[in-house]
Amino acid sequence: MTMREWWSKVTRFAQRRRGLDTELREEMQAHLDLLTAENRERGMTAEQAQQSARRRFGNTTLTRELAREAWQFPAFDSVLQDLRSGLRAIRKSPGFSLVVILTLALGMGANTAIFSVVYSVLLQPLPYPAGERLVWLGESAGQASGISVTWINYQHWRQENHSFEEMAGYRTADMAMTGRGEALLTHAGVVTHEFFRLTGSRPVTGRLFAASDDHPGSAPVVVLAYQFWARTLAADPHIVGQTLALNGKPYEVVGVLGPELKFFPRPVDYYLPLGPSEGTAVKRSQHGSTRILALLKPGVTLVNAQADLNAIMQRLAVSDPGPENDHRSAAGYLSEFRTEDIRQTLWTLTAAVGLLLLIACANVSSLLLVRSTARSREMAIRGAIGAGRMRLARQLLTENLALAALGGCLGLLLASFCLRGLVAWGPPEIPRLSEVALNVPVLAFALVVTMTAGVLAGLAPVFTAGRLDLSMALKEGAPGSGARHSGSSLRAGLVIGEVAITLVLAFASGLLLRSLIAAQTADPGFAPDHVLALELQLPHASYKSDQAVQQFYSGLMQDLRAQPGVRRVGAVLCPPSGGDCGDWWYSIVGKPAPARSDVPMTLTNTADSTYFDTMKIPLVAGRGFTEAERTGGLPLAVVNEELARAWWTAPGMAVGNEIKLGGPYMDGPTLQIVGVVRNVSQMGLDAAPLAEVYFPFLQRASEGMVVMIRSTGDPASLIPAVRRLVSARDRDLPIQSLRPFETWMAAPLARRRFSTALLSAFALLAMLLAAVGIYGVLNYWVGVRHKEIAVRLALGASRSGIVRWVAAHAMRLAAAGILLGGAGAWAASRYLSSMLYAVSPADPTMLLASAGVVLLVAALAMLVPLWRATRVDPVSNLKDA
Amino acid sequence: MSTVDDPRERLEFLQGTLEVLILQSLQAASNHAYGISQFLEQRSGNEFLVDNGSLYPALQRLLQRKWIAAEWKTSPNARRARYYKLTPLGRKQLIAATSKWMRFVEAMGRILAPEA
Repeated sequence: MTMREWWSKVTRFAQRRRGLDTELREEMQAHLDLLTAENRERGMTAEQAQQSARRRFGNTTLTRELAREAWQFPAFDSVLQDLRSGLRAIRKSPGFSLVVILTLALGMGANTAIFSVVYSVLLQPLPYPAGERLVWLGESAGQASGISVTWINYQHWRQENHSFEEMAGYRTADMAMTGRGEALLTHAGVVTHEFFRLTGSRPVTGRLFAASDDHPGSAPVVVLAYQFWARTLAADPHIVGQTLALNGKPYEVVGVLGPELKFFPRPVDYYLPLGPSEGTAVKRSQHGSTRILALLKPGVTLVNAQADLNAIMQRLAVSDPGPENDHRSAAGYLSEFRTEDIRQTLWTLTAAVGLLLLIACANVSSLLLVRSTARSREMAIRGAIGAGRMRLARQLLTENLALAALGGCLGLLLASFCLRGLVAWGPPEIPRLSEVALNVPVLAFALVVTMTAGVLAGLAPVFTAGRLDLSMALKEGAPGSGARHSGSSLRAGLVIGEVAITLVLAFASGLLLRSLIAAQTADPGFAPDHVLALELQLPHASYKSDQAVQQFYSGLMQDLRAQPGVRRVGAVLCPPSGGDCGDWWYSIVGKPAPARSDVPMTLTNTADSTYFDTMKIPLVAGRGFTEAERTGGLPLAVVNEELARAWWTAPGMAVGNEIKLGGPYMDGPTLQIVGVVRNVSQMGLDAAPLAEVYFPFLQRASEGMVVMIRSTGDPASLIPAVRRLVSARDRDLPIQSLRPFETWMAAPLARRRFSTALLSAFALLAMLLAAVGIYGVLNYWVGVRHKEIAVRLALGASRSGIVRWVAAHAMRLAAAGILLGGAGAWAASRYLSSMLYAVSPADPTMLLASAGVVLLVAALAMLVPLWRATRVDPVSNLKDA
Repeated sequence: MSTVDDPRERLEFLQGTLEVLILQSLQAASNHAYGISQFLEQRSGNEFLVDNGSLYPALQRLLQRKWIAAEWKTSPNARRARYYKLTPLGRKQLIAATSKWMRFVEAMGRILAPEA
């Protein structure tokens, strides 16, 4: 298009669109008049002359439209026109339109909601400058990866690497804040000063850390997180310069951070400078819990950066040898950090909603097919009066897109509604779930899905419209009478596809559901009911010695035991479902030493003498701990069955043997095994048991313990009394948590419950949609065969014969779908296997059961069409013909 | 359109030819759409079939490019009709297009009917 042409279109468009139309009309009328006049001169009658002129001129409407098109922006006007006629068609058949719009809204709403979760959790770039180059670093050794980085190693990495622009150390700490009302448990992010630069943080008032703050001996300072300052400190504008008492030590507030930074999975209240402490500054193998945040130089790959760090570690093994000479580095992109576990769940859900949308599209497609058959006369007439084939196809497509757009809008509404539920109900450990929103990328996704769905669903009818034989459609009297049923094989294909997809979803959700049930009913190895869990963390500043810690806990537990309604009390460092509170290499004295890279690992835990009894964890062999264990005495240990069975044929044989912590190649204590207890679900109910070693609390005191209180009645009823007893012992001691223990158990299953519930909901929706689809197609199939049925009846077929005939047709489709779906389910099951617990993906009963359910749904959907088939009246139907 | 009185199948316009021919038909005098179609059919010895579905859009395109202009006039037999006439720009265009099409026709002829 030339510039001039384009410009003339613009001005014409703006000025005289109506004028053009009248002008063309007049011009053509004049043309016709000329022709008519000529014909009259040749001696025709007025009527003949006019008719002949019209014949010679051709299709005036089409000509006018074509001429007008020269002035239009390509297709814009006719699209508007199609849209108008599309909306008119939607209004004209509200029932049909409602079903289509609702079906699409369901599919698109589910997709939009899940995509917005996927986007904010997995795809959205991290909100840090150069977030795509941010990595986390840890140490690795043998089978262990992501070990904390020691201070000295960190210093070497920082100074000697060639791959990173910057590095920052970070860890968290729980601290008690006193002196401002009630004692408060607070969470600190302990970071080196580079941390703020890497995360792009700025202070709203005061300053952030400088390099000098990291040095040992510098004045203790604290930077407050915005929310903590706003909420707990009432947004005090003069906070900078004041002091906070943290764990009994004064820290000067130097600044308040902006509200944007959300780096730690559990929000922190303030930041403290991270520097070396006595132990870490001299010993290269002295670990804390520090991990490293680092910014890769542009163009450096993670693999090369890791090799760079490994080279440093190899040099250090020579220049500063120690027990950890074999330690190397571990690294991963921050964007993938913490999302690894949820990744598969989310992609699985995405696949599920994608399949759901396919079913929705198939349904709409078959509905549109039915309607386009019914409208074949309308289309034929439009064709006859001059609508081009492309034009007809475009009109259908526009109508479908209008339907899809309405469905998409409703879907968005549905999605925003669902999202609120997802955020509220989703497991809290999913990172960045709270950021889920209908933002621009999500809206763009919804738009693309809507367009795709509209085109996809509309493709079949458009395709058949393109093939429409005009004269046939016009000649056939009633819509759909006679033998020609356009798109009938297409419809059958759609039903088969729907059944297949439904089977896949039913099978997958069935597997997950059985896993969830298995996990929920799994034997935890102890009695979790009637237990109140009190989580405490004694501040080191007030409880400096092991004796002080032990005295506090034994005193508190004595008080608790004296409380009415309390049956037993015991304490543990890491309760069941508490996850990994510490792990270490180990070996068994007297057994052959494994190779360096094969040294096994065990979870470590600390329990007091009454813990196993309180939790009803059965002793398998030997004895538990007693009150007689003392620091300095022979170090003792209780191991779990898993560890015992790994080395001895009977767990009882473990008793009396010695376990060496640290493994054969590293320093570590040797402990005598005095007893073996049953496995408990340490990593959650749906996790395989791991080896575990318990230390006696009296030999290895821990400031943080969970005190388990077994009650006679409702454990929650003891909460006020327990609070009172704790504050009577130490009024500055904050309670970390106090809740019935069963809520601890539920937390690790939350994600499984979440994904299972969602997938099951999608499977149910799929079944519903498939049922509607099968019903629709079969109903139509019966509808267009009324005459055929009538003929069969007239020729002596019985009603039950008709039922068998229709049912056989339906069942053929269902069976084909189930075969196809079975193959799909088999493929899907291999992908799902890592999400399953105590269920085999190859389990044929599950496949058979879901096939049965799908077949049942298909049979139910068949009932009405079958009933209609039996009601065909041969006399009236044959008379009509 | 009926072709009963002409057993030979008539030719349709090649892409782009109709517009040049319209310009040529207006070179001597202005004309209306019907007149243009008659002119083209007669001058081609009834080889060309002028379809109004092509003629009218072509006229609109030429108007857009300002190669022709239109005005309502009364015909010799006292009928009102919309007359098209060449603009100076259209005249220039016609000269350029004519030489181009002549070369094209010549070249086609050389290939299709080689002289010996």
